[in-house]
Amino acid sequence: MDSIIDKIGIVQALWPSLVKGLWMTFQISILAILLGSILGFCLGVAKTLGYFVLEKLINGYLHLLRGSPYLVQLYIIFFVLPSLGISWLQFDGYTAAVVSLSLYTSSYVTEIVASAIFAVPNGQSEAARSVGMTRSQTYRYVVIPQALKLTIPPMASVYVIVIKSTAVLSVIGISELTRQGEVAIMRMPGDIMFIYCLIALFYFLYCYPVLRFSKWAEGKFGSVGDVDH
Amino acid sequence: MSEPMIMIDAVSKTYHLKSRPEPVRALDNVSNHVDSGEVVVVIGPSGSGKSTLLRSLNGLQEVDSGKIVIDGVEVTDKKTDINKLRAKVGMVFQHFNLFQHKTALENIVMPQVIVAKRTREEAEEIANDLLAKVGIPDRGNNYPSMLSGGQQQRVAIARSLAMKPKVMLFDEATSALDPETVGGVLELMRQLAADGMTMAVVTHEMGFAREAADRVIFMDEGRVIEENTPNNFFDNPQSDRAQDFLRQIL
Ligand SMILES: Nc1ncnc2c1ncn2[C@@H]1O[C@H](COP(=O)(O)OP(=O)(O)OP(=O)(O)O)[C@@H](O)[C@H]1O
Ligand SMILES: [Mg+2]
Repeated sequence: MDSIIDKIGIVQALWPSLVKGLWMTFQISILAILLGSILGFCLGVAKTLGYFVLEKLINGYLHLLRGSPYLVQLYIIFFVLPSLGISWLQFDGYTAAVVSLSLYTSSYVTEIVASAIFAVPNGQSEAARSVGMTRSQTYRYVVIPQALKLTIPPMASVYVIVIKSTAVLSVIGISELTRQGEVAIMRMPGDIMFIYCLIALFYFLYCYPVLRFSKWAEGKFGSVGDVDH
Repeated sequence: MSEPMIMIDAVSKTYHLKSRPEPVRALDNVSNHVDSGEVVVVIGPSGSGKSTLLRSLNGLQEVDSGKIVIDGVEVTDKKTDINKLRAKVGMVFQHFNLFQHKTALENIVMPQVIVAKRTREEAEEIANDLLAKVGIPDRGNNYPSMLSGGQQQRVAIARSLAMKPKVMLFDEATSALDPETVGGVLELMRQLAADGMTMAVVTHEMGFAREAADRVIFMDEGRVIEENTPNNFFDNPQSDRAQDFLRQIL
């Protein structure tokens, strides 16, 4: 009985800082998802246009981002870039977090968008071109609307990955959820297990609806294949 | 004598594929013409270049050499506004290729609004008239996935007709249909022919070729082997290859 009252006491004491942490996690992940999706969408479309050099450049970008751990990318953007002495590359922690996570997000979104566009049957563009639509009209009115439907399920899985990746941001001192938890543990080292479970629960409360949405969308729209991670 | 509607002059096309050792000569110096209001049926064995020929007529397939002119506009000229030309040349595909994310009505409305710059109201009126004309007046709100193959092909024909084309190209328009829906679509094509549409039709429906064609073109290995009136072609084919082909399919 005592211990339950004890735990309620801990939750009450930590509640404000954990909610603040969740709010920070939410902010950064939403910004990264938004910016990363816009960038990824543009790169994904560009990759399908059939310009050889452009495609190779984008592939290079993707390999760079997907072939290295996110933590290393974060370090490079936060610690290494400022040392180059270029003024617009002097990021504070918050900006570095948003920038690096957006780039990371974009690398997944690019692949998803490009493969969704390739998955739209060729006959759709042929029919559009045959009635006299230009190439860009064909993309805008026929190919992309159909491709976007295919991207919904894999996109939701990527968003969950991005949300969970924000935990890494504690290493550069962003007061997101994990960081707030670590601070709390310094205050109450005896309750480390309970506090980590509490943090996991907070992440779960944020990710679960997205995952449910992803499952629902997969049933409704089908998928262009899973993302590898 | 007026100009022919379609003029094909010494057109050649060779496909090079990395995965194939030999290049494929899909069109080998093909020349022909189709007069205004004429219905030409193109037949020939698989791989003889029929689709390549048809697709080159609206520039969907670029050719290596030769000249194609439709209604006085040179398709093979790089300076031609190919999109403007394509609006005048309807194309009907084996697999219908309706826009999957749009209803039947929207499939017919969208190109009119985007390409022909008609108002929505005008486009919808034309679309509804055409749906009635092709025999499915009450299917406008259905998505393609809810329509039978035959119904989808009718919508596809209506979509092409909405652009008020001067020429209609049909590439095996009934090959993917269930037997019971083939007749209706062929009947629709006959009706179009009777209305004076200029048509180039690739088909395996020999009954249609015999009744509806003004002229039959027989192709093999990228060349026009024989050209004849339907009755002569079917009853008294001149070339050995046409005789072989007819023996195999009839
Ligand atoms: N896009 C392409 N790339 C490479 N080769 C092609 C392509 N399209 C057609 N071919 C080849 O060109 C030749 C002619 O093809 P085409 O599709 O024009 O024949 P077809 O008479 O329409 O045949 P079918 O009756 O089977 O439809 C074939 O050997 C085919 O393999
Ligand atoms: Mg063919």
